[in-house]
Order: sequence, then structure tokens, then C-alpha cells
Amino acid sequence: MLTYVARRVLVSVPTVLGVATVIFIMVRLLPGDPARVMAGLLATEEDVARIRHQLGLDQPLLLQYLGFMGRLLRGDLGTSTRTGDPVLHEILVRLPYTAELALVATTIAVVVGVAAGILAATRRNTWIDLFVSGGAVFGLSMPVYWLGLMLIILFAIQLHALPAAGSDDPLGFVLPSITLALFSIALVARQSRSAMLEVLGQDYVRTARAKGAAPRTVLLKHALRNALLPVITAIGLQFGALLGGAVLTETVFSWPGIGRLLVDSIFSRDYPVVQGIVFLLAVAFILVNLVVDLLYAYVDPRIRYS
Amino acid sequence: MSKRGFALLFALGLFAAACGGGPTGTAGPKHGGTLRIAIGIDPDTLDPAAQTTTTASQIVDMMAETLVGLDSSGKVVPLLAESWTNSSDGLTYTFTLHSGVKFHDGTAFNAAAVKFSVDRLLSPKTFKPQPGVLRVIKDITAVDDTHVRFTLNSTFPAFVAAMTQTDAAIISPASVTAPGNTPEKITVPVGTGPYKFMERMASDHITLARFDGYWGQKPNYEQQTIKIVPEDPSREALVRAGQVDVIVSPPLSDLPALDKDPAVKVLRAPSDRTIQIIINTVDANVPLLQKPEVRQALNYAVDKDTIIKSVMFGNAVGLDAPMSKTLFGYCSVGSYPYDVSKAKQMLQAAGASGMKVKLGAPTGRYPQDIKVAAAVAGYLRDAGIQVEGPVTSDWPSYLAQVNVPPAQAKFDMHLLGWAPPYLDASQQMEQFRADRIPPKGLETSYYHNQKVEDLINKANTETDANQRAQDYCAASKLIWSDAPWIFMYNQRFPIVYSSKVTGVSSTPNEKFVTIHASPA
Repeated sequence: MLTYVARRVLVSVPTVLGVATVIFIMVRLLPGDPARVMAGLLATEEDVARIRHQLGLDQPLLLQYLGFMGRLLRGDLGTSTRTGDPVLHEILVRLPYTAELALVATTIAVVVGVAAGILAATRRNTWIDLFVSGGAVFGLSMPVYWLGLMLIILFAIQLHALPAAGSDDPLGFVLPSITLALFSIALVARQSRSAMLEVLGQDYVRTARAKGAAPRTVLLKHALRNALLPVITAIGLQFGALLGGAVLTETVFSWPGIGRLLVDSIFSRDYPVVQGIVFLLAVAFILVNLVVDLLYAYVDPRIRYS
Repeated sequence: MSKRGFALLFALGLFAAACGGGPTGTAGPKHGGTLRIAIGIDPDTLDPAAQTTTTASQIVDMMAETLVGLDSSGKVVPLLAESWTNSSDGLTYTFTLHSGVKFHDGTAFNAAAVKFSVDRLLSPKTFKPQPGVLRVIKDITAVDDTHVRFTLNSTFPAFVAAMTQTDAAIISPASVTAPGNTPEKITVPVGTGPYKFMERMASDHITLARFDGYWGQKPNYEQQTIKIVPEDPSREALVRAGQVDVIVSPPLSDLPALDKDPAVKVLRAPSDRTIQIIINTVDANVPLLQKPEVRQALNYAVDKDTIIKSVMFGNAVGLDAPMSKTLFGYCSVGSYPYDVSKAKQMLQAAGASGMKVKLGAPTGRYPQDIKVAAAVAGYLRDAGIQVEGPVTSDWPSYLAQVNVPPAQAKFDMHLLGWAPPYLDASQQMEQFRADRIPPKGLETSYYHNQKVEDLINKANTETDANQRAQDYCAASKLIWSDAPWIFMYNQRFPIVYSSKVTGVSSTPNEKFVTIHASPA
């Protein structure tokens, strides 16, 4: 097992370095001069040149790249050109907020989504199934932006029940979490429904039923455990995506998370921060994949030895 | 489990409803003593010397004061300086400072602090400094505690006005080594202002606390919290829900509804920002645009009044000069009333009927920007012009596309706004001088008229204010008839605030002023 883990971790290293290189190139392919954008329209040519020099943007690209990779290998993501603060600091002060939303939303999604999926699968072709499947399509296709505003209008303006925006109110997380969860609920519900349907048609389920096991035991012990594997993968990846910050949700609800930072940084062409966030996000995805693979290997010994 | 989860959420919602809906809910300013403001942009820095946006600098203004300020009409008024004199050669300005003024850290405000702060603005070591025109300062001398003398490299009659910019704000010299600060970069501005820095949470809020040792009129609110709420509709929702007291820039399309809402008041504050369709006056692809009469025809072809009414929801006023009325040097010079048949005639006479042009506009930089450009394109098509576009992109990409020398011009016309930070015509005239063609500046019409340039150069150094204003006026007349722009409008700066608050005002450079706001 240990060698398997070591091998998988080693294989990830070139992926991470490759990702860093691609990000470095991609942010620089964006049109726009960071120094001019930051200096403003009325800045003189000297002011712009001075800022460009201070930010190291007047150096040759190759030198900038080597500097970036060199710092990265030492665990330094660089300095934000917008604020002058270390990139890691900029990310870390916002990470708890993004993590909070991601955790709450994922929890809601798992609880509601799995339950709805099982319900729909066991009551296939009834109105419940129709309701869950219809609801899932609704959840997947609803624009987050519109949904968020509708929730704000209903709960903040009409009912005066919940804060419309911000994180300072203890209930501030409710609306963004629900908004964010809706998409994940739909995703998880669909995944669990189809996984359950597949498993319920398997021979061993029929055997379990034939030998007289209680329907509840068949469902939860025999079917669900086997159906959950692909669902866990979906949840893991979805959680990884949410960790990168839900750009629209965080913007509509003024939530001080990673997604907002990413947007602000893109619009001010803050290369180091954009690089830092995308890089960490890529690492998070690689880690999630790794953990999922290891879980598989743990569950299924055949993977370990192949 | 799922039922329980739902029930918990539902209970939470009910609980919140019970709290929020009751008479004790949503603590208003009367109870909390905090004025809650929502703005759209997270300030990049609170360092006075590195200010580039009015959004950030209006917050810095509450903490760090300048020697001179602007009143709500845009006039220069004394602030930390009681008075000032100018030498007869126009090269030396001496400011007399208020005495007995203290910084937030308790140290005394004096001429040495002025010298320290302005030297810091001019220093290349400061992180992203924005001296701009103040680079004209050659030397600063602290004559004694209450007198400070600025010597300039060349005469600069707008010097005092330029000193109203937040970049020239005075901070405590001792504070640059205080926690959070370095001489290069200030995150906690320690000035003499009515409010002092309390806390900041990135992307979320900035809180200021009343400075009890303030030398001037004491503010009413104990605290002011500035929340960062990037979306216009979200800010509107906050003020309508009573969760903040003051917001800037609601969605313009909602202004009529906000006007009717008794819970809020709408202030359409004057701004100095002009919005224009800039014409490439040296266009090699469409040489017809090099003719002034063609450019005049374009001005007649566009119904500015209808665009102001229907696309800008009345949140702008028409232009009668190449600058807003709030600038020193403004004079009314003319009008291009909407007349499509006249436009067609003029285009035909110039051989420009059916001319093909490409129009560019940014998305999200100015209120309704792309929609205004689309309306302009429609009017130009009505006049028989074939318009490609409006072609649009996000602001940094767009700026990179228009901020290019003539040979690389991407558009035949493009929408741009211009807002002089210290309300002097010299700043607007940066748009009409060929020596500001990119990369030297941002004169993206590439317009050149030697007479105009001579008048601007003369006015920029003229020490007699009357003569100066006359020169700008004369230049404005020539610019108006040369028509390097389709002169669109002077936009307004909408501020929406709770009916429970009074005393919210603004300065015409798009800054709100809540320092002396109070519960109504």
C-alpha cells in the first residue's frame, strides 16, 4: 500500500509543475497591461513605467518565469501586484470563508441529494421520481446569479428574515450556502439515482431479497454501499471545485472568499494572485483525485496490485 | 436525517425572521451609532500616496486630510492649511497650517509632517506611488512649524487644486514604522481626519472609528463601516432591506423605483465624468473620419437626449462643451441637436454616405456603457452608416486595445469616459493634445490642432486666472467644431441612502461624503 501511495504522489509532481507552467503562460496571454490598469487613466508615462519596474514586469518573460518557478519550489507564491501583500496571505485570509460555504453546501448536498436519489430510484416512475428528476434539472440549469438575487429579494427585502450579503452576520452564510448547494444537490441526486438503479438491478440484490432480508437492509446495506462509490467521487470533485471559490455566489452575496479574490485579481491583472489561486486549486484537485484513488485502492485490493 | 437538516434550516429561518422582523431588529443608526456604507470595489490600498480610484480615496479622505479640500460645488477650500500665497513668478507656494492639530497617534501635525508625506509621495521607493502632476514639485521646505513652502520646477497654476488629491494627504511620520506599515507601504493610514482606522477584512469591510481628538467639527457617528459589495443589485437590496444605510451606484434601471421607495432617498450627485465616443481622427482605414464635417455629422446623427432618458434613466446631463460644467475653465460653447436629415446631408456632401466604421466599447466600466454604445450604433445606422459592433470586452482588455499608437488602432470609434480628479480643465485637455498620443498619454482620438495645443499650453502655465479660463474656453470652441468626439453626456453619480440618515453629500469628482452624516 505504502509503495502505491509513494508512486501516486511521485507521479503527481510533474503534473503540478506542468500546471504551474501552463498558468504562468495563460495569465500572460490575457490582453491588458497590469501597470497601466493599476496606475489609472491619468497616470503619466513615468508613473506607469515606475510601477511596471516595481512589479518586475519590465523583466524578460523567461526571467519572470524562472523567478516564479524558483519561488514556487521554495513554497513562495510571490507578492500581489495589487496590494503588495504576499499571495499566500491573501489566499489564506479568504480560505476559511470559502471552506465554510463549501462544507455547508456539500453537507446539504450530500444529505438532501443522496436521500432524494435513493427515494427516486426506489420509487422509480412515480410522481416522487418525477419530482426529484425535474427538481434536479431545475437545480442544474438555474443560473446561480438569478437564483441568488431572487433569494435576496424574498428573504432579505420582503421577509426581512436573512442578511442580503456579507459575512459579519452569523446568519450570513445561509443564503449563499443554499444557493451554492442547489447545484450540488441536483448533481448528487442524479448520480445517486442512477447508481442506485444500476445496483438495484444486480443479481446480489435479487439474491438478498430472495433470501428474505428486510427491504431496509437490502436497500441500505447491500445496495447503497455499492452505489455510493461513484457518488463519493462526484462529491469529492464537486467539493474540490467549491474550494476554488464559487465566483458567482460569492459575488452576488458579497462573500469574502477565494472566488471574489480571483475575479478581482483577473480584472486588475494581478498575475501572481491569479497564478497562486489557480495553482492551489489545481493542487487541491490533484489531492482530491489522489485521495479518491487511494480510497478505491483501499476498498478494492485489485487496484493495489495491478 | 434529511428531514432534520431541513427542519434545522427552516427553524433557523424562522428564528431569523422573528429577530429581524421585530421592532428591535436591524439596529439603525440611532441605536448602533454606526453608519453602514456599501461600495462596489475592494480598495487595492489605503496608502494615500498610491491612490488611483475615487472609490478607495474617498475612504482614505476620512482618515487622512489634505492641505486643501474640495467643497460640494468643487471649489477649493482650506483644510489642514488655513491659507496660502503664491510668489509673483508663480514658482513658490507657501501654505500656512492650522496649529494644534493632532494625528491619530497623538503626534503633532506640522510642516515637517507635510514635507515628510509629500516627499514620500515623490519617492521612487514608495510602493506604486501616484505623484502624477505633482512631480512638478522641486523642493519642499518646512519654514517653521506652521509654514511650509513648495518650490516648483515650472509654473503650474492648478497646483493648489492638484493638492486636493488624496495622494497628497498628510500622514504621521511616526506611523510609517507602526504595526502594519513600512515607509514603502501604508496599510493603516494615520492622518488627522475625523475618523481613524479600526479594522479591515479583505474583500469584506473596512471599519473606521470616530477620532475624538479631531481638530474640526466632530462627526456624529461613532463608527462608519464600509462594506464591499461588488454587485449593483446586491447593494440595492441591502439598502432597501435596511441592512446598510448608504450605497453608491445602484443599477440605473432601478432608479425610478428607488425614487418612489419612501425608505430611501436618491441623490443624483454631479460628477465631472464625461462620456464620449472617441473618433480616430487620423483613421487610415476610414480616411473620411479625418474630415471635421464628417465628425460633426456624426454628432448630429446621435440623439443624446433620448439616450440619456431611456438608456441612462436620466442619470446624466447633455454636454455643451468638451468638459463638464464642474471644471475650472469650463464655458458653454455649443450644441449638436439631434437632426438625422442634416446628418445625412452633411455625410452625403462629404461623400461619406454608407461609410463603414467599427465601434468599440467596454463592458461594465461605466454605467450602461455597452448599451449606450449599442444605441449610438443604431442611430449611426439610421444615418446610413454601416457600423460593425459595438465590439466589447472587459476593461483591462479594452484599455489595452485603445491605448495604442495610431498605426495599431483597432477601432474607428470607441467609447471612453474621462474624469479629472481635481476639477481643472488642464486635466480634461489631456484628451486633446497630440503630445499625449499613446504611449505618452491616452489621447486616443489622435486629434491634433496646433492652435488648440498652443492655447492649452498657454493656459496650463498662465498665472492670471481670468486669462487662463479664457484660453481654455477658446480651445474648447475649436475642439467643439473640430469634433474629435461624439460628445455624449456628463454622467451623474447616484448615491442612495436610508431615509433615516441625513447629511450625505458629495464632491463633483465622484466621491461621496458621509463624514458629517447623522441620524435623521
